[in-house]
Amino acid sequence: MTAPMTRRDFMRGAAAVLGASAAFGRDATAPVTKTRVVLIRHPDALDADSAFNEPVIQQMLDEAVSKLLDVGDPVAAFKELVKPEDVVGIKTNVWSFLPTPAAVEKAIRRRVLDAGVEEKAIGLDDHTVRTNPLFVKATALINARPVRTHYLAGMSGCIKNYIMFAESQEAHHPDSCASLGSLFLLPQVKGKTRLNVLCALTPQFHGRGPHNFSRRYVWNYKGLIVGQDPVAVDSVGLRLIMAKRRKELGPAQEVPPVPKHIQLADTRYGIGTADPEKIELVKLGWLDDVMI
Amino acid sequence: MKDLGPKIPKQVLDWKASGEDAVYDRKTLYGYMDGGAEVYLAFDFREVFVRKYADAEENELVLDIYDMGSPAEAFGMFSCDRQDPDAGIGQASEYGPGLLRFWRGRYFVSVTVSGNEDKAEKAVLELGKAVAPLLGPDGAPPDMIKLLPPAGLRAQKTAYFHNHVHLSNRYYISPDNILNLDEKTECLFAEYGPEGGDSGRLLIVRYPDAEKAKAAAASFLRSFLPGADANGAGLIAGKGWSAIKTRGNVLAAVFEASSKSYAERLAETAVRPPQ
Repeated sequence: MTAPMTRRDFMRGAAAVLGASAAFGRDATAPVTKTRVVLIRHPDALDADSAFNEPVIQQMLDEAVSKLLDVGDPVAAFKELVKPEDVVGIKTNVWSFLPTPAAVEKAIRRRVLDAGVEEKAIGLDDHTVRTNPLFVKATALINARPVRTHYLAGMSGCIKNYIMFAESQEAHHPDSCASLGSLFLLPQVKGKTRLNVLCALTPQFHGRGPHNFSRRYVWNYKGLIVGQDPVAVDSVGLRLIMAKRRKELGPAQEVPPVPKHIQLADTRYGIGTADPEKIELVKLGWLDDVMI
Repeated sequence: MKDLGPKIPKQVLDWKASGEDAVYDRKTLYGYMDGGAEVYLAFDFREVFVRKYADAEENELVLDIYDMGSPAEAFGMFSCDRQDPDAGIGQASEYGPGLLRFWRGRYFVSVTVSGNEDKAEKAVLELGKAVAPLLGPDGAPPDMIKLLPPAGLRAQKTAYFHNHVHLSNRYYISPDNILNLDEKTECLFAEYGPEGGDSGRLLIVRYPDAEKAKAAAASFLRSFLPGADANGAGLIAGKGWSAIKTRGNVLAAVFEASSKSYAERLAETAVRPPQ
């Protein structure tokens, strides 16, 4: 008897069949180069009162970006990401229940400054990025937000964080937000994203209540997931959310419904790699209960 | 909804109303929800009345009273997300740290806490008890509930909804909408057992017409249960037995059943017209 599509099949998805390399126009017969994603954790990223520890988070970002690019010094690593002449927009997330931590925003901003970008050429925004003059003329984007579940999209990660660049957010809601990957092809965005920082410091693995948020489903994981490929970063984030859901909610609720936009960002829009087999996950730092 | 405002207490224990009351409708709900509006818009949501309360330490309670258009829709909104113990408020309720939910008549209500959830518990429950009498009279849950076979039914787990998003959040079948669910379909998802060793999960869908039910069954068999036998039953590796039946405009699909005979019996009973 033929088995239906399982959750694991869904995760591996069509990316494994079609090959993400084709999306980038590479020779399909060439050896597959894995996309690197760095997961870094630190037991002191949050203190006993769950406040974010800025020096530790700076250190985590530095180590992650250095490893991501195989450059020993974090400032040198950031100099590979942005040039002094760049106009850099840091796309944050201000969702009141679980915003991008200020400590992460500051850590990114500090290193962009260290890389030689003028202060006046660095912007930080969420809801008004479409019209913010700095983002309109930005030559480089850095994408930073927390990882959480979302009732429609399954997961809110780095891909979904760009929905504020859309002319109509509602237009991306049908079919479990399947079209989110297209946001990275918008003229204001295409080819500009230099770094994605998916904050797994306090991820949310399940949504309840009127705003789909309940503190009960947030845990102190104390991690950052960092990469240049937003799809690969989100694919790793999804693995983490699924692992936590499996542990806390049981196998029947392992998949947050329905994160198809991550796979489609690869297979339909060609903006990155969703297939875990084609992602090199480098784990740094604290490994207790790492889950993935 | 604004008529409700003056009737709702402005103070509950140490918590006082703060800021202006607000009302949002289907067009303006996105401005309030930032990411959660679709959950309500998938039902016949009309308006929500919002009042915030704060204590001296600036912990916040938020009272939301949703006019869902009918008791069936209010029941549906409540039923899709039940996890906590009964709080004895309204027609059905639940309370867990930081969140009270209940429904009465055509209204669904939530009280949420930002800040110290333990300190807020008494005030949350007091507020719920004060609001519930204002929302009467009671209303009837969806008549479709009569289709659920009673034997072994875990009634507290029953959910009523319309579309694929709600189904996926209640029970994951497929990344795609293989049952062609939309705002015109009525769905019940229920859990059974274990009773005498029998257990399973049952989805009943009422379509606008028999043709749509038949087409959905064909889609389901093609995508989810391609190896089904002539009776529409099949074993899924590691997931127990599934079965599907249709009669007229009603479709019943069974998942994770403990035996083939139970899967078939549950599906058959569900599509049988109620006595």
